[in-house]
Amino acid sequence: MGFRVQPGVIGCSIRPAIVTGQKSLEEIIYETSQLALADAGLTIEDIDGIVVASNDQFDGRAISVMMASGSVGGVDRDIMSTPSASEHAFVLGALRVASGQFRTQLVVSWSPTEVSSLSEAQRLGADPYFHRALPLDELSSHALQAAALEHAVPTARQAAEAIVAKNRAHGRIAFPTPILSTGAGPLRWPVMPEMTSTPVTGCVAMVLAAPDFIAERGARDVAWIQGMGWATETGFLGDRDLAQAPALAAAAKQAYDLAGITDPATAFDLAEITDATPYSELLAYDGLSLCARHDWAARTGDGSFARDGRLPVNLSGGVLTWNPVFCTGMIRIAEIVNQVRGKAGAHQHANARRGLAHAGSGFAMQYQAAIVLGREARS
Amino acid sequence: MELLGRQETWNITYDHALGETASWFYTRIRDEAAIYGRRCAKTNHVLVPPRAFSDETLLPTTDWVKVGPGGRIEAFTMVYEQFNNLPDPPYAFGYVLLDGADTALGGYFKGIDLTDPHQAAKKLAIGTRVMTKFAAVRKGEMLDFWFELEG
Repeated sequence: MGFRVQPGVIGCSIRPAIVTGQKSLEEIIYETSQLALADAGLTIEDIDGIVVASNDQFDGRAISVMMASGSVGGVDRDIMSTPSASEHAFVLGALRVASGQFRTQLVVSWSPTEVSSLSEAQRLGADPYFHRALPLDELSSHALQAAALEHAVPTARQAAEAIVAKNRAHGRIAFPTPILSTGAGPLRWPVMPEMTSTPVTGCVAMVLAAPDFIAERGARDVAWIQGMGWATETGFLGDRDLAQAPALAAAAKQAYDLAGITDPATAFDLAEITDATPYSELLAYDGLSLCARHDWAARTGDGSFARDGRLPVNLSGGVLTWNPVFCTGMIRIAEIVNQVRGKAGAHQHANARRGLAHAGSGFAMQYQAAIVLGREARS
Repeated sequence: MELLGRQETWNITYDHALGETASWFYTRIRDEAAIYGRRCAKTNHVLVPPRAFSDETLLPTTDWVKVGPGGRIEAFTMVYEQFNNLPDPPYAFGYVLLDGADTALGGYFKGIDLTDPHQAAKKLAIGTRVMTKFAAVRKGEMLDFWFELEG
């Protein structure tokens, strides 16, 4: 079953690594939103509604959308915020178009690095009853998940190291500027410094539209949303089997059912996966039914997910290349949008007809989303 | 042109209400050096740390169940970075499924030399048996207890 009104993405701006200290956060958000509107050939007057996603602790602004409303054109307009995850702004924007109530949506997310410690800010995400006494930031949660995966799949570390090499190689093509380095020694065992990247400031914006609006404006470069699914796991890490991703499996099934996909392993020309660590990417292979865990070592070893492989994953270099922490999920979606629209730049895939975007965010990827995007309106 | 910045430091204190369930949990730790979970009558799962309701069934939990002190490691990591108001690194923490519990409890691992992380990781391998240890003087908080390798 497809959308009643199928949303398409007609404008996109990805700014994954913004030099800090040059612009205020509101100026960055303004510029990125304007770039997405210009890419769509629209002005804010064409936008029916706006959805933004940000993290108040990172921003240092309570209900940061209050300040950002002006930057995205939200003054005297419809605007909503999804602080749960950047990708949720995309999902909500798409649902609003699909509802038939809106013809266009602007979705925007950002992630600054102005706080003295992102780790300390992330610790506010833990409950104040039982877990604040632990060093529970996102990297710790990913490390706990990595340890669980290494125990469940003895070849996971070998596969994780292959993913690091792959995504770093992709990153050198996508962004020839030097990749930020990390320190020596394990940050959080078993996650090594080369398995992560230093957080940077980033911002991303997209313009979504309904088919009749797209036809009316004659937009040619459209990434149609063919399928979309999202799901959430329980908040307490101790309640979860960290070596599994049931919420991602549920999200993927929802997206694949909507897109009419029955064999995900062969359905896509490329994919972008949230690789907060390479273990996150491995778990997503499984949850998205792209590669069973017993095949991780073989498929990462034979280059199946490399640039010239059967299913290139993270041609952008992924989060291992640029890590604007909070908005990495929406950036994965935007990367597939650009690929399908033929606007990915140096890392453009030769024939990106249909792609899969995975967004995983929160502690040990508590929030999971899968988005299928294609050149054709219907899959 | 000259670009300026502005540094801000906020110092806000929150007084979080723990509620009856967490309060009872912590007073038992303080007064009995014991850990309890709450049972969901529908699934029979014993939830640790305890909750007033199960987020799986959305039913109120029904009774207290003493768990541990033994258990097995479900997940672990070793931390080599400094956090505010936490021990000096390196240290290890993770989740332990205490005997009689169906969900794992977070806490620190102590008594393990973390100088060589590869060797330490072998000792903290998932599935390893551990024992809950309690401080001699307890305040009724998570730092009143930790886990050590059994035996």
